[in-house]
Amino acid sequence: MPMPQKMGRGDEMGRGPYEKSGIINDTGLPPGKTVEEHFEIPFYTEDVTDDDDRVIERKLMDNTLEINVKLWYLPYGNKQSDPFIWQDFTKKVTVSE
Amino acid sequence: MKMTKITLKALLACAAAFALIATTTFAAGVGKDGTIVGKKGKATTIAELVAMYDSTGCIDCHEDIHDEWANSAHSRSVYGTGRTAATMKSALENGVLSWAFSGATNPEDVEVEHLMGCAKCHLPQLADATDAVAKEFIADIYGLMDAYRNDDETKFEDMKDILLSLNINCLVCHNKMAITHKWTDGYPQDGTIYGSYDGEHEDEAFPHAKVSPIMSESIFCGQCHGLGPNFELDNPTQCATAYGSYLWAYTAEGGTETCQECHMEKSGLGHDMQSYRSKVMSDAAVDFEVEAYGAKWRDGRLVTPKAIVKVKMTNRTGHAIPDG
Repeated sequence: MPMPQKMGRGDEMGRGPYEKSGIINDTGLPPGKTVEEHFEIPFYTEDVTDDDDRVIERKLMDNTLEINVKLWYLPYGNKQSDPFIWQDFTKKVTVSE
Repeated sequence: MKMTKITLKALLACAAAFALIATTTFAAGVGKDGTIVGKKGKATTIAELVAMYDSTGCIDCHEDIHDEWANSAHSRSVYGTGRTAATMKSALENGVLSWAFSGATNPEDVEVEHLMGCAKCHLPQLADATDAVAKEFIADIYGLMDAYRNDDETKFEDMKDILLSLNINCLVCHNKMAITHKWTDGYPQDGTIYGSYDGEHEDEAFPHAKVSPIMSESIFCGQCHGLGPNFELDNPTQCATAYGSYLWAYTAEGGTETCQECHMEKSGLGHDMQSYRSKVMSDAAVDFEVEAYGAKWRDGRLVTPKAIVKVKMTNRTGHAIPDG
């Protein structure tokens, strides 16, 4: 979302209508454009080490991972004040055991 | 010599007549005295301001439209969900009252101009009120917040009702804000409802109907859902930038639809103009595609399993999201 610049000067941001007068950064979605995000999320594993503390095996603890992607609108920039979930996606993904 | 004098007198007479015509025809503000505030004078109390822009008479013939509007944020533009009124109080305290050169240090010092950063859009008719209304308005917001803090339900409801009576109603859009270019198209006149046709309008107080040159244009909405910092204010603020985004990032890229086409017609919501909290609007606004799959990265003897997640979001609206 647009990060309002305080009084249109410097590197400080403020969200109150009494101080915002510019945009210092914008993570919003521009009209007509496609914005792409890429995430890599590790599965839960435990490393097995040898006597010299070298990792010799990475054991997969669960080959299923539930992925939940939410598109949030945070009017106040945090999840405590009137947050809104715009989109919500859930899928279980697996890897071979 | 005599001829010259006569010619000069005639020329002067012609010039005087032209000046008179020019003054009558082209002077700025012609028709301004026919506006609602021009006819009735500035409101001196909130009750007078509410009466000045009283739209309850519209319900008799336009009940469906009224009911749509009543569900929209326009019907509670000052109270909001309570959050809007509370934000006006914090904007006053953290802003106007704390600024060295605002001329106001206490709520009792507040004048109309101090409130226009908020009121320009949340209550544009406040421009047609005296400073006494600004003081009463602030006193009511403080009264609401005090009642909330003290669990005084009766007073809270009283204050809430007063604040709910101040809103963006029929007359605000279909009269006061119906003309942007007043020197070109004239000032909106008392007794006239501006919309889609010229003719008679069956209402005692508003017996005339005229076409608003902008009612179906995006600029109409852009008056409030604006461009960015309001530089006309002595202390500019920037709330809504939707119309700026519409002009410079949507139409500039070939977009042709108007605000009204998406928010009123395609949505089927009519005067119940909504944004992201309406499922109809939020579903239409963003295409959200997620691809997720598992994969293993082998590095020598070690295998690291991970989920690859690719998200694509396409904004299908005519402005940035979020915006207002």
